[in-house]
Amino acid sequence: MANSTWDALLRRLRTTSVIDEDDVAALGSLPVDLRTLGPAEYVVRDGQKSTACCLLAEGFCIRAKTTWEGRRQILSIHIPGEIPDLQSLYLHVMDHDLMTLTESLVGYIPHTALQDLVRRRPNLVAALWRDSLVDAAMFREWIVNVGQRPATSRLAHIVVELRARLKVIGRGEGDRVEMPLTQEQIGEAMGITPIHANRIIKQLREEGVLEFRRGHVSVLDESKLQELAHFDDRYLHLKPSQ
Amino acid sequence: MPRYHFHIRENGRLIRDEEGQELPDKDAVRKEAVETGASIARDVFMNGSAKLVVVDVQKEDRTCLKVSISLSVEE
Repeated sequence: MANSTWDALLRRLRTTSVIDEDDVAALGSLPVDLRTLGPAEYVVRDGQKSTACCLLAEGFCIRAKTTWEGRRQILSIHIPGEIPDLQSLYLHVMDHDLMTLTESLVGYIPHTALQDLVRRRPNLVAALWRDSLVDAAMFREWIVNVGQRPATSRLAHIVVELRARLKVIGRGEGDRVEMPLTQEQIGEAMGITPIHANRIIKQLREEGVLEFRRGHVSVLDESKLQELAHFDDRYLHLKPSQ
Repeated sequence: MPRYHFHIRENGRLIRDEEGQELPDKDAVRKEAVETGASIARDVFMNGSAKLVVVDVQKEDRTCLKVSISLSVEE
């Protein structure tokens, strides 16, 4: 049976993929080693060989890569119900870091158990495969974001994407979006320095678009936000038919 | 490590950096200032909101480095 460990993941898979109650039961019977990690802790590091995939049951994580010069690019932000290192099931050595932003509850699922599961449950193969493909689609969108959009639009897009994904797991309602990133981390996600990020955050507040507070962001003007972000959720493939 | 504040001026408008950043040495400060200035300049030059970006780096309320980037187009 499903418990709170699986709630967010199941909520998402039921919306985005086709799974039945036997699939839900099979997921719920997987062995999970639950651990609470503090903020800014590595879940798994670049170069590390892993033997388990990590289900983010609660909390927020990022994937990031650091250059030889020590400059870090945040590649993606992860929310509850995601398995950010699902690729480690087949790609055994990590090619980037996965770390927590906030205190997080992380469930380590052994690769052997997941491999056994995907042999038995074709729906779950499709669902997890879809997850990996959407993951790649999000990276494509982030490349466009960092490479082509002006900074205010870039940040607006990150916020609107995060809100759309949180909404799927029932956490994106109202004008408040959970976004536990510091000014420096916002800069790292946008590929700009912390000072430039500070300037963009201030500009968005002065123009009455977004207000960043500790741990979340408030939407001050929805139409201005949409105008900046030009967000099209097609790349998130939120329905099985998409 | 000393704390530096990177105040930004775009044309006449001042954007203060209240938080500041700790950096190990003068080279790191220069690098951060030039990169921040260039990155902001790219934005404001492209959208036409300013033609001059100045990064005024202060340590203990005194300017220790100033980077100016200006746009001039001749037609």
